[in-house]
Amino acid sequence: MAEPLVQFRAVHKAFGTYVAVKSLDLDIHRGEFLALMGPSGCGKTTTLRMLAGLEQPTSGAITIEGKVMNDVPPHHRDTPLVWQSLALFPFLSVVENVEFGLRMRGIGTKERRDRAMLWLDRMQLKGFEHRRIDQLSGGQRQRVALARSLVTEPQMLLLDEPLSALDAHLVIRMQGVLTRLQKELGITFVYVTHSQSEAFAMADRVVIMGHGQIEQIGRPQEIFRGPRSRFVAEFVGRNNILAGQVQAGVMQSPQGSVPVGAPDGPAEIVVAADRVTVSRDRPAGAAIRAAFLSEEFAGTGIICYFETPDGAEWKAQVSESQLSDLQAESGQEFWLSWDPARVHVMG
Amino acid sequence: MITSRKLDLYPILWRLPLLVWQGLFFVVPLAFMAAMSFWLVKNYRMEPAFVFDNWSRMLGRGAFWDAYWLTLGRAALAGVLATVIAFPASLFLSFRLSESARRFALLCLIVPFFTSFLVRAYAWQVILAESGPVNAVLGAAGLGPFTMLNSGFGAMVGYLTLVLPLVVIFQTWSLAAIDKNLIEAAGNLGAAPLRVLGSVIIPAAKTGLVLGAVFAFIMTFGDFVSPFYLGGSKPPTLTILIIDTTKSGQQWPRAAVVAIVMILTLFAVATAALKAAYGRRG
Amino acid sequence: MKALGALGWIYLAALFTFVFAPIAASVVFSFNSDRFPTLPLGHFTTDWYARAFSRPEVWEAISNSLIVAGVTSVIATFIGFATAYTDFRYGFRFKQAYLALALLPPTLPLVILGLAMLAWLSQVGLSGTLTGIIIAHVVLATPFAMAICRLRLSQMDPSLESAAWNLGAGPWTAMRYVILPFCAPAIVSALCLTAAVSFDEFVVAWFVSGLNRTVPVLILEILQGNVDPQINAIGTVVFLTSMSLVVAAQFMIFRRRRNG
Repeated sequence: MAEPLVQFRAVHKAFGTYVAVKSLDLDIHRGEFLALMGPSGCGKTTTLRMLAGLEQPTSGAITIEGKVMNDVPPHHRDTPLVWQSLALFPFLSVVENVEFGLRMRGIGTKERRDRAMLWLDRMQLKGFEHRRIDQLSGGQRQRVALARSLVTEPQMLLLDEPLSALDAHLVIRMQGVLTRLQKELGITFVYVTHSQSEAFAMADRVVIMGHGQIEQIGRPQEIFRGPRSRFVAEFVGRNNILAGQVQAGVMQSPQGSVPVGAPDGPAEIVVAADRVTVSRDRPAGAAIRAAFLSEEFAGTGIICYFETPDGAEWKAQVSESQLSDLQAESGQEFWLSWDPARVHVMG
Repeated sequence: MITSRKLDLYPILWRLPLLVWQGLFFVVPLAFMAAMSFWLVKNYRMEPAFVFDNWSRMLGRGAFWDAYWLTLGRAALAGVLATVIAFPASLFLSFRLSESARRFALLCLIVPFFTSFLVRAYAWQVILAESGPVNAVLGAAGLGPFTMLNSGFGAMVGYLTLVLPLVVIFQTWSLAAIDKNLIEAAGNLGAAPLRVLGSVIIPAAKTGLVLGAVFAFIMTFGDFVSPFYLGGSKPPTLTILIIDTTKSGQQWPRAAVVAIVMILTLFAVATAALKAAYGRRG
Repeated sequence: MKALGALGWIYLAALFTFVFAPIAASVVFSFNSDRFPTLPLGHFTTDWYARAFSRPEVWEAISNSLIVAGVTSVIATFIGFATAYTDFRYGFRFKQAYLALALLPPTLPLVILGLAMLAWLSQVGLSGTLTGIIIAHVVLATPFAMAICRLRLSQMDPSLESAAWNLGAGPWTAMRYVILPFCAPAIVSALCLTAAVSFDEFVVAWFVSGLNRTVPVLILEILQGNVDPQINAIGTVVFLTSMSLVVAAQFMIFRRRRNG
């Protein structure tokens, strides 16, 4: 395998006594779409900023193309970033914003104007070049920010939650723009987000971070179906976690005993919400009993919330017709069951 | 490896101008003035020394303490008067005017800061003169003529001219920031307007009220135009004492003593007032 | 409630009358023929202007004032901007003391600053010179410039500067192409306002000026002599000059705000 484009080796970053990133090891490959995901304060943005040279690691090394970058100031790197706030220059016109990076590189007036116009065209912003930034819509600004970062033809683009300020329908559209762009250009995208749907929809690989450390790296499907820790399972969402002691293929848990394909000893299993079956009558095989709490309409179906007798919350994804069949009312008890073969055992 | 970023000149160069200028021309002059208060004056020339001569002479003089209490009393009175006079106007500005009208009014109140206070004091001299316009009007009503200049009254007119705009601005800023729902809620709970004022509005606007009064105090305490040109300069205030001692007597070290006493007083008052304004809130 | 509203208007009008009466009066008196104006007023005249501006010392004072205000505004705005930028960008030990240094001077009574300046400047041989007045006025005016620039910087997206670095600009280039253009209206504003502060200041200037009088110091010295309506004429001109500077400063701030 070719040498990774970026390598983090034992990178540590502290702000005073607060440790933002702990002994981080991470490879980023050429041409991949990598998402750094985690709750706020997990160190994902600090990691991205260190890559751009906006923060310096306290210890450890960051290399780009094999060259140690620790002491290279941001303006000597080629790591353009799309900011959460977009950080477009309000006193410059659209085309002047896009030209900025070329101007800083000493490229002549004519050439930089031509190259900027090419990118504005590509971003479907032709005719807007002399507008002021505050005369553009949210989606248009987003595309100006992208054009500004890409006009210098970098081999990697960093994105810091760039879609967080957009309306839901625009987010979906911009996701399409971003993935298409990344495939067309064939460059590396490093995308920071706290949104599971954004990361899973676009990224080739997802890095889940928590408390300054990497919790798990993998393809979206791998992480979704096979969370390696309780932290990941809970962060990824719509997962039910069952913990207990396994003996001879059966796990004893506070919610009941269920069959598990795991060796003897303590274990935690994850049952994804879309794999839980809800029924009024006790099904054959293992099941746990829980009281219906409420339902929530999500994009892909309806999530029903239950509470087990010991107070644990369970989620089950059902379709609209299933929900009406159940005629669930708050406080009613149901049986929750699943196929033991499609359960993920953590460890 | 390049480690030059740790020794970056860039931030230092931006920090330096203020440090150099205010250091050389603000801190050093004040420190020099403090040192000078221990110097000696011989044959109209200052000589470096470390004696308490100037201090004992100034502080042992009854006239100095008369001036001290007069200045302090006038400043306190001006602070209270300005606060009381400004408050109804600030209330009206904050609660009865639209946002834009209020902003325009406050903008107008900034104008006086950029007009010469000297010229304004001179205008008052003419307006309040024994044969001036005010006495002309009063005379037509069969009153007066009143002597308004060269008195405590004259000085107070000057002080209020100086400080009222600022006090109104401070008060209006803090009053306008009060959540209107709070006032409506209090009214809703059956509080009479006066009680709403006393139990909701004034406590909520405390910071602005105190700051306004403190600035009025500070400005009055340090003003020499009002007492000199409108108050008749006798008895002298501390500022007039400094000017007389500096300009005519060549006794700079003694003037420095007065200046230091003034600074200490202002510092004590400002500290106490800021504690009152910001301390123990909610 | 209606009556209360009317009362409020009357009260407000009375307060504004009190504050603005001396300003208005000095303008009116400057065109009034009486040496000791009273009601009813005398007839209209521009005589006081003609007399005031035929005096060579008035012109000399005006030229001194313009030099002092011009130089003061440039230096004070530069220091004020540098300080505001430092406050905006950096946290460091003793920052509180640093900021106190930046903001305290206007709270010190001018008479005291005048005395301290006079004493110190005569030690270093600068008392009685225009340079001495400029030095003192920069001390006084810098906080205003700092406040205006700081306000503008607080409206700036803090990532803007990092964005410039990220696109290939070094710190000084980012300053030139991003921070300065963003702060331009505030800087013009600060130039005007600090010039106005200097143009009106007479206490410290009086202490340190010696024979090089500025306009307000000249007014003060005329005032010490006798009642003389020429003061109104000069005062009106000074007022108009300062006001145009302040209005220009306000205009810059507002225009910027409208444009986002």
